[in-house]
Amino acid sequence: MKGALADRQLSFLALTNVAVLLAAVLLTGSGFIDLYNLQSMASQVPELGLLALGVMLAMLSGNGGIDLSGIALANLSGVVAYLVLRDTVSADDAPLVFTWSFAGIALAVGLAGGVLNGILVSHAGLTPIIATLGTQLFFTGIAVALTNGSAQTLGYVEPLDDFGNTPVLGVPQCFALFILIALLLGIVLRFSGFGIRLRLLGSNPKAAHYAGIPRRRMLFLTYTACGVLASVAGIVIAARTSSVKWDYGSSYVLIAILIAVMAGVRPEGGYGRVICVILSATALQMLSSLFNFMDISNFFRDFAWGVLLLLFLAASQIDLRAWIAPRH
Amino acid sequence: MSIKTKLVTCAAAVALVGAAASAMAQDKPAIVTVVKVTGENWFTRMNEGVDAYGKDHADVATSQVGPAKADAAQQGRLIEDLVAKKVAAIAIVPMDPSALEGVLKRAANRGIKVVTHEADNLKNTLVDIEAFDNKEFGARFNEKLAACMGKSGKWTSFVGSLGSLTHVQWADGGAENAKKYPEMELVSEKNESFNDANRAYEKAREILRKYPDIKGFQGGSAIDVIGIGRAVEEAGLQDKTCVFGLGLPKDTGPYLESGAVDGISFWDPKDAGYVMNRVADMVLKGEEIKDGMDLGVAGYEKVSVKKGPGEGSILVGQAWVDVDKSNYGKYPF
Repeated sequence: MKGALADRQLSFLALTNVAVLLAAVLLTGSGFIDLYNLQSMASQVPELGLLALGVMLAMLSGNGGIDLSGIALANLSGVVAYLVLRDTVSADDAPLVFTWSFAGIALAVGLAGGVLNGILVSHAGLTPIIATLGTQLFFTGIAVALTNGSAQTLGYVEPLDDFGNTPVLGVPQCFALFILIALLLGIVLRFSGFGIRLRLLGSNPKAAHYAGIPRRRMLFLTYTACGVLASVAGIVIAARTSSVKWDYGSSYVLIAILIAVMAGVRPEGGYGRVICVILSATALQMLSSLFNFMDISNFFRDFAWGVLLLLFLAASQIDLRAWIAPRH
Repeated sequence: MSIKTKLVTCAAAVALVGAAASAMAQDKPAIVTVVKVTGENWFTRMNEGVDAYGKDHADVATSQVGPAKADAAQQGRLIEDLVAKKVAAIAIVPMDPSALEGVLKRAANRGIKVVTHEADNLKNTLVDIEAFDNKEFGARFNEKLAACMGKSGKWTSFVGSLGSLTHVQWADGGAENAKKYPEMELVSEKNESFNDANRAYEKAREILRKYPDIKGFQGGSAIDVIGIGRAVEEAGLQDKTCVFGLGLPKDTGPYLESGAVDGISFWDPKDAGYVMNRVADMVLKGEEIKDGMDLGVAGYEKVSVKKGPGEGSILVGQAWVDVDKSNYGKYPF
């Protein structure tokens, strides 16, 4: 029964993708599906996609789970990594060392930020929305203080730039990384003990407690993982914009949540599929690119996303009823 | 509702939206102007210039787009899509120039002509258009301040933040000009308002307490004069102080009326929009961007052209507009 519901959401999303793509070709011609635009759209997906995966993880854990600090932590990771390396490693002399250390430091910052969120939510027992709102301001504040509020330019660092912008075998590298991470996450959630316990915890915390699932440790690990995902987004942003700044993507917080909810992740916890998040992210990206191709106002885009979200929610409601009915 | 019906509805909705917006097949080269954010008075005014250029020149199609939120990420995505769409030229007012280097390089590789405005540190642009030289602009404020203050007395300057390059240039340009007048004394210069009228107000109040005999204020960010004006008005010093700075006519109007702010200067975004499209059109047609040329718009009759930080050049006009109580109403932004 559950499988049927999941498949429904999945096929709905897949068909939406196809529909948008078809509509795009009909409306704007074949330019929309030439290799360049497909690559361009694919390389725009990871920033938001990674943040949406973080939101999904937080939502899965139940307890009103959400991570609002994602983009702030992503920016902070980039800022710290750049500031540490600016005076220690020359990007011109050792671009490869620079790139890998950049990624390493960013990930470490993401891990630290995730741990902080994890402690606040699991051990201090704060409501996730409050805790991560607090850390969002905290991370942003540090990034502003460190940079005086101005953008830091990385300049042209070949390996980093390639990662953000150059396709390998036709696939943009950052998109490939995103898919790889999503795949790993999907496998962990589906098959590992951790994944199963997380979904159980999310769907019924009380039952999970009596079943001996270590709630605190689960929450701690989940929010830590969110932090790491955010820092990967930070690396992608740095690679794609060749700069780091505290307020980049300030509109991403809500869009990441939109992607997760559109993917059928249950805000109350317990259910969500990685593949659906990917399809939801690509659908939004194609729709947004389509609007840009057609010179449609960006205000209309916000409106269209809202309509789409309501449509998805309505659809899932209908599905849910059909699913529950036969059981009674 | 079955999946099929839903899908059909969905596709139909998208198609309908598309039809309504009517993607006209444009055969003539398209120049797309990308602004920081849609819906702000400043950029609405710029849109008039963009449309005007399109009307005057039927051989190109001009349009203006911008993100719904002032976010460098959103602007970057918009440009990314325009590059994929392969429009002929893009004219950009960057939210954050350094975040756009990558995508603009890709644009150049695809043969798209890029011109910019307010981004003289950007490398991947063919021509960056500046309304005026920032040092000169600062000196002009100071000249007016000096005239109003009778060339003597204490004065101070404001900046949005010390990180805002242009604001600092204006403050420095003013300070340098003031050296001509030995009686004028600059006190606690470059106060940061962080682009917040309240901060500017509090800073100005502090300064009025500290220097009760202060006579002049030079604003930096467009809202500085509003904050300063409010502080001056509360202190009842409208007639004893002189306040000049960058400002927008609509926002500053009440303070100009009361005399708390004596005069503001700005550049007209309509002209900037027109000139950006003019230059983009020239680049498309392969015309040379020459020092001293006349672009046919007030303030851009004799532009100076110098080398930019990258391959491109920087074009500078003298397109400042000064208004006071008597004529600010002419500008609807």
